Amino acid sequence: MRYLFRRFQRLVVVMVSVTFLTFLLVNVLPGDVAYEMAGMDSSEEEVQAIRDELGLDRNVVLRYLDWAGGILTGDWGASFINKEEVWHALAQRFPVSLELMLLAQLIALSLAVPMGLISAYRPGGRADRVIGTLAFASVSMPSFMTAILLIFFFSLHLGWLPATGYEPLSAGLWENLRPMILPALALGLVEWTVLMRTLRAEMIGVLQENYIALARAKGMSDARILLVHALRPSSFSMITLLGLQVGRLMGGSIIIEQIFGIPGIGRLLVHAVNTRDFIMIQGCVTLFAIAFVTANFLVDIAYAWLDPRVRLERARG
Amino acid sequence: MADITPDRLEGSSAGAPDDNADAIASHNRKNRLGLGFWIPLAWLAVVVAAAVFADFLGLFPADEIDWMHINEGPNDAHILGTDHLGRDMLSRIIYGARVSLTVGFAAPLIGVGLGLVLGILAGYYKGWVDEVIGIAIDTWLAIPGLVILLLFSVVFGGSLGMVCLSLGLLFIPTAARITRAATLNHSNREFVLAARAMGASDFRILTVEVLPNIIWPLIAFVLIDIPIAIVIEGALSFLGLSVKAPTPSWGGVIAEGREHLEGSPHISLIPTAVMFMTVLSFNLVGDAIRKRLADVRDGAI
Amino acid sequence: MSEPLLTVENQRTAFATGRGLVRAVDGVSFTLERGRTLGVVGESGSGKSVLSRSIMRLLPPNARSSGEVRLGGRDLTAMSEKALRALRGPEISIVFQDPMTSLNPVMTIGAQIGEVLTRHLGMSRKAAKARSVELLASVGLPQPDVRVDQHPHQLSGGMRQRVAIAIAIACEPALLIADEPTTALDVTVQAEILDLLARQQAERNMAMILITHDMGVVAGRCDDVAVMYAGRIVEQASTEDLFRDTRMPYTSALLASIPRLDDPPHRKLEAIAGRPPDLIHPPAGCAFSPRCRYADDLCRSQPPALEDAGRGHRFACWRPMTMEAAE
Ligand SMILES: Nc1ncnc2c1ncn2[C@@H]1O[C@H](COP(=O)(O)OP(=O)(O)OP(=O)(O)O)[C@@H](O)[C@H]1O
Ligand code: SF4
Ligand SMILES: [Mg+2]
Repeated sequence: MRYLFRRFQRLVVVMVSVTFLTFLLVNVLPGDVAYEMAGMDSSEEEVQAIRDELGLDRNVVLRYLDWAGGILTGDWGASFINKEEVWHALAQRFPVSLELMLLAQLIALSLAVPMGLISAYRPGGRADRVIGTLAFASVSMPSFMTAILLIFFFSLHLGWLPATGYEPLSAGLWENLRPMILPALALGLVEWTVLMRTLRAEMIGVLQENYIALARAKGMSDARILLVHALRPSSFSMITLLGLQVGRLMGGSIIIEQIFGIPGIGRLLVHAVNTRDFIMIQGCVTLFAIAFVTANFLVDIAYAWLDPRVRLERARG
Repeated sequence: MADITPDRLEGSSAGAPDDNADAIASHNRKNRLGLGFWIPLAWLAVVVAAAVFADFLGLFPADEIDWMHINEGPNDAHILGTDHLGRDMLSRIIYGARVSLTVGFAAPLIGVGLGLVLGILAGYYKGWVDEVIGIAIDTWLAIPGLVILLLFSVVFGGSLGMVCLSLGLLFIPTAARITRAATLNHSNREFVLAARAMGASDFRILTVEVLPNIIWPLIAFVLIDIPIAIVIEGALSFLGLSVKAPTPSWGGVIAEGREHLEGSPHISLIPTAVMFMTVLSFNLVGDAIRKRLADVRDGAI
Repeated sequence: MSEPLLTVENQRTAFATGRGLVRAVDGVSFTLERGRTLGVVGESGSGKSVLSRSIMRLLPPNARSSGEVRLGGRDLTAMSEKALRALRGPEISIVFQDPMTSLNPVMTIGAQIGEVLTRHLGMSRKAAKARSVELLASVGLPQPDVRVDQHPHQLSGGMRQRVAIAIAIACEPALLIADEPTTALDVTVQAEILDLLARQQAERNMAMILITHDMGVVAGRCDDVAVMYAGRIVEQASTEDLFRDTRMPYTSALLASIPRLDDPPHRKLEAIAGRPPDLIHPPAGCAFSPRCRYADDLCRSQPPALEDAGRGHRFACWRPMTMEAAE
């Protein structure tokens, strides 16, 4: 309980410093939003009026406190540029980015787990070496390069999948998934290697445990030993990594959304940066940070599911 | 207790207990540097040499537009073809290598340098220093790296120096954590306690007693980070957020070719291949060196 | 005479390591009849565990093994891994030394027993669970119907070892190997576990190999005892003969280290002086000669063979002790 409380404290401090840091950075962005809002042929007075209205001349700390107070009461502010509610914009884009990241992580996991199992089964064996080489090739292939190759091959050459676009889920599951496949692949094909290596390393250790020897002595098949006895106790580091990877995944999704024209948070952010839409940038980064923190909290829960010992501690409080 | 447990799932290897020659031989084989090391190293040597001596290679100027020869595939005049403005691809790739390599080497060094300082401070002084640095690092980690770079590039502009610096900042957290752990580990050892008892200053203890002990993991870390830095710079310049426009960079060239993937795929695919091979080579060479370092260290102790 | 249940014939197991070949089991032969108990005693590192894994054919990849292991007429060394898997559980099973690490921490007790039943006896999951509860009850675990759904960390060491025994006897194997089943447990629990093993063995007519480094454990519980030193059997006899007519100085040293009821309290146990031999470069003659107070030049140059001195009493020693010397 004390531990949880300390963790929570730390979390709050981190959230505050993340948002304040972004606030500072965003505020020193060159270019004056007031000018852009007032339009090309506006007088100095008109611009100043906008500045006053937005409170742009006030102290940064005061403005931050204003903004933070707004967030706490559910008011994320409105875009300077088109007056769109930040919360509304985020709520609309977030599911899109989330879907992309979940699909990517799903692809990464469904590669990492079998490959990790096979590698750990006979470390140094032929399969392990082949997979190791594949992994090296994959990490050397950043997502934007994979994206180019995928588009070239599957969209232009074979014409199987669209190179850009997005369809909402309401258009049908397949219609929604079809344009998501290549972007998710581009993201997932980089991320699987770290997961695979982590799983492999931990599993090699677990396979030397006494309880694995006992499982063998019970006459269990290798497949059952790997999947039923060894996989769960081997996945702790990999699960932790899943949480930490969310940060990288969000970064990657910015590029991927840009390349494939997917209307997610990443595109929103790039657009906001280009138009100096402070309040929107601030909202996007805050959302990213919340997502990151939440993902890592979910990882804690997954831990409890994986390890009955943790579960018990939780039950006791 | 020396309980034996199978260290992998495999049928017992039957056969008479003979000499252990093959076991030792296979051990040696693993440690020799093979083609998987020398070929990538050779490629890196070529790339580095080309980037350094680019001005003396008699290349077309990297930004010379030639409307008569746009989107040409590889030919006699332009070995790797031309892009949509008729600029020579070979020249753009070689000059682009300058950017990639500079960032690739500088950013990890900057990050590890700064991380080293923070990590040592946190690990040596502990207490509130440790706490503050810990929070700073958590903060840094909670913002996606690319978002930080996005904001930085807009705030500070796209000079090569700024790109190196802001990219370097991304490597601080891990470097600081490694250093902190190692410092915690070493600052309680006898030789440090002895030095402190003899009245050595903190600075002296840190540089003379602690630093040499944590330098190895950090060197290994730099090796891992070089290809990562190259990749991130590639992503940045792909988004147009790295060095400014006429200066060619690999990510930028790939991005420009994106519009012409249909008719002239070579504009994107050739720099993609070059970048892939370079990053892969750094990964392979770095990995081999790290294994070597680990062996040497294990052998020495 | 019909073939014994288990015949081990010149079993050798060595491990290829960076420093050289470790000869952990170096030419071991013995037989075991159905329903009988063989105690295997020896210091730490004498090769007891490696011998038991060699019998089960559960060796790590760096192991080189030769010799013959026949169980109920079948040569295990010639069998495929798949055929061996079918034997492990229903024909031969093992209880490990450390119950803290030999159960899977993330699986329930019931799942760990049940999978043996579904795998080998073809039971349904439901039947397997019901049978698991019965087995847990028969090994004396309180509240078996509750325990069956718990995880290992919720059980004490003694309870876990009962679970391990329940797993081992689930398919009524013909041979049960117990590799120091009580070493890791509290003294008070040790006797209970040993009694449990004896009871189960009698009920199910299993043969048992009881591995221990404690002569005291062997005394009342084994029909025969084999003493191991440096990967070899150096003396083997019926328990009674071994205790009454000890021939090998090493055995006698082991016997001297048993605490006796009639000992004055706080008597220091007589540890065996000297270090166990290097298994990579064993001594030229008798492996025990560097530590043996009777050793002479012959002992140091020629290894003594394991010879039968009648009534199945075997020992390997150039200068066997007589009854008086053992006194
Ligand atoms: N996988 C292995 N690789 C190399 N050497 C091994 C391996 N397994 C066991 N050994 C060595 O074989 C020898 C015999 O070990 P074993 O575990 O059989 O001893 P033991 O008699 O069971 O001892 P204890 O009473 O401590 O359990 C030891 O010297 C041990 O170091
Ligand atoms: S052979 Fe010699 S050294 Fe070995 S036990 Fe007998 S007397 Fe001792
Ligand atoms: Mg043992």
